[in-house]
Amino acid sequence: MGYVELNVLNNPAPSAAAGPLALGIDLGTTNSLAAAWRDGRPVVLRPEGRSGLVPSVIHFGEGGPPLVGREARDHAVVDPRNTLFSVKRFMGRGLADVAQELATLPYTATENERGVVQLEARGRRYTPEELSALILRKVHEVASSALGAAAPTKCVITVPAYFDDTQRQATRDAARIAGLEVLRIVNEPTAASLAYGLDQRDKGHVAVFDLGGGTFDVTILSIEDGVFRVLSTHGDTHLGGDDFDQRLAELARVALAAEHGDELVRDPAFQQAARQAAEHCKVELSTQPEAELHLMVPHKRIAWRRRVARDEFERLTADLVERTLAACRRALSDAQLQPTEIDEVVLVGGGTRMPVVRRRVAEFFGRIPHTELNPDEVVALGAAVQAHILTGGRRDMLLLDVTPLSLGIETMGGAVSKIIQRNSTIPCEATEGFTTYADDQTAIDFHVVQGERELARDCRTLGRFKLRGLPPMPAGMARVAVRFHIDADGVLSVSAKEQSTGVSAHIDVAPMHGLTDAEVEGMLQAGYAHAQDDFAARRAADLRTEIGTMIQATEKNLNAGRAGLDKESILDLEDALARAKVAAAGSDVAALQRARDEFERAALPLAALLMNNVAQKALMGKSLGEVG
Amino acid sequence: MTKCEACGAALETPVACAACGALREVPDGASPFELLGLEPAIVVDERTLRGQLTRFARLVHPDFFAAAEPVLRERAGRNSARLNHAFEVLADSARRADWLVTALGGPAEDTERAMPQAFLAEVLEWNEVLEEARAEPEPDPRVARLAVELAARRASSLERIARALEPLPEHGSPALATVRRELNAVRYLDRALGEIESLRLARSERR
Repeated sequence: MGYVELNVLNNPAPSAAAGPLALGIDLGTTNSLAAAWRDGRPVVLRPEGRSGLVPSVIHFGEGGPPLVGREARDHAVVDPRNTLFSVKRFMGRGLADVAQELATLPYTATENERGVVQLEARGRRYTPEELSALILRKVHEVASSALGAAAPTKCVITVPAYFDDTQRQATRDAARIAGLEVLRIVNEPTAASLAYGLDQRDKGHVAVFDLGGGTFDVTILSIEDGVFRVLSTHGDTHLGGDDFDQRLAELARVALAAEHGDELVRDPAFQQAARQAAEHCKVELSTQPEAELHLMVPHKRIAWRRRVARDEFERLTADLVERTLAACRRALSDAQLQPTEIDEVVLVGGGTRMPVVRRRVAEFFGRIPHTELNPDEVVALGAAVQAHILTGGRRDMLLLDVTPLSLGIETMGGAVSKIIQRNSTIPCEATEGFTTYADDQTAIDFHVVQGERELARDCRTLGRFKLRGLPPMPAGMARVAVRFHIDADGVLSVSAKEQSTGVSAHIDVAPMHGLTDAEVEGMLQAGYAHAQDDFAARRAADLRTEIGTMIQATEKNLNAGRAGLDKESILDLEDALARAKVAAAGSDVAALQRARDEFERAALPLAALLMNNVAQKALMGKSLGEVG
Repeated sequence: MTKCEACGAALETPVACAACGALREVPDGASPFELLGLEPAIVVDERTLRGQLTRFARLVHPDFFAAAEPVLRERAGRNSARLNHAFEVLADSARRADWLVTALGGPAEDTERAMPQAFLAEVLEWNEVLEEARAEPEPDPRVARLAVELAARRASSLERIARALEPLPEHGSPALATVRRELNAVRYLDRALGEIESLRLARSERR
């Protein structure tokens, strides 16, 4: 019966409405997902029979294009060194920032000359931007197959609210490398509120609690007349569901190190197996009072198991939950609200499936949180709402977000002079005056930082800027106005003007932990070249699979069908069958396509015959009365 | 009232024309009151202020110019930033008063630095209480009492400021110096209240 089904699959119903204009993409630490606005509401883009969720995992095999998503994740234990995940934790970061992460991850990381982390796989170094671009391309591909046509390249991408400027830029660069046009970078909790806000747009205060795979954010918003105004946001880019897994993995590490030595605990395959076992156990503990931590490392002949009670898990992770509540207190303090003044609480991210998180959040705010929407999907849905707004879809809703961290400049003695306060509504800007301290000085250096600490060295460096081209003047005479602008994506730009002469000063920006435009451009070119190869390879693979299924089905049914077919049809089909077998051995896309089409045509009489037989058999089993 | 160059309608705000939607180039000197289409005054109704921000943000927010040409996109970003900044100044009573005192030619913050001796002695007392509380493992009830007291003093300071600026005094009026001194007192109160708040947050995290 093979090709009766195949024929159905090969003729998808033509889509009634025009496709969406832009995608909403949740680029997550653990999973990524696309959604779009369709028929008046945001929907997750799922290819037939699949969830649409793309695990944010990349596997570099021995040859051919890298695998991304589910297929890649399957290689994690077998080939841990060449399987990269949690890439988002490295975006816009230097090696020193991620030491904590690297301690528990099985792969090698280095840093380039401008402090961009690079992860190594199969002898090559990749920046987090390039790796994220591979994930984005896969998400786009999945979206295309769900839509049945090429998905739009315009998109809204979400980031944790607490991402700093460099991390946002890195996300924007990743999208460019993937060939996507980013209409807007939106904060994840804010996006989630848009997804929920559709149904409840009356006045009130909302708290969004977003515990993702690798990041935690809490955002307090006020909603009034369709305007979503963020009052404050707080978070921790080093705290996520992964950290809860690690507490369970630690149980295995301690027990097995005692038994087999430290050597084992450092083995990448062991680390990967421990990680997966821990995650599995955590997920089970969300629905069961007790679960098994079960770990297998075949090449070390290790099979280890241990029962973990939910109580024990909750004790092991109590401090992590406490950290999320501390962030809630700080966000409320910044919004000048009491927990009782919050009208709605929304839970986002896979981490909020843990009963202990739900319970503690409910206790903290004194109300039952919203969990109606799938916490893994709500961010992508909200991004799709924003994508719809940005493509001219609706003007009744407006989102006013904030910058999560204060922006400042290092002054004499290493202190920070704050120029833009945290939780300022974006876009925002501030102009600061600067002057020269030496006669005929034609350039001024300055150091821009983001963070709340008093000393520049405790904040994050965004960049060192050099103002050049000042006219020679006595010391202290130059009046340079430097304008800092944070756009609606939360990304900073700087411009300057010398006011006494009207000369615009040039600004050279040396991004820290970020790519230069030229680098992004180079990766983009390389990406296009790869994209062509990748596409051809994938299409060929799909066609080979399809032809294989058709060959099987034909060979199985041909003998039974011989009697009912005329000689010409049989010869025609046998001929097509032979040619399909030859074509299936090759990888030329055009030849495969021709062979498949030809085969399908030649198989039609057999398919029709089989259909009739089935129908007859079915009818014969019933009485005449039933048939009518 | 200024008219829109594009359609001739009277403008409520320099950022854009509510009648035809034209985005405008905003002059550098535009005041926060002008930007939000309000008459300068010390008393501002919160709801009205939010309403103005929302109404004008819908005219200039970059979300509605995503497909526009770069010049307009950039202008939308700038005008939104101006609007947001104006809102922040006007939404905070102390910042609003500070802006009015400066605009009316009153003394700047650092020219009226001298605070009464008695007040400075009080500031020293608060600091002592906070210092001691920081060193103690248990929450100090004196801090909670201090917080209530300082918040009440802040509120009455702001009330006095509002009375002095309602109606707005003449440009350069000597009354502005009094308001400035009161505003400087509010700064001291805010600093102490801020420290009490961070002490509270730090304590809840240590537990």
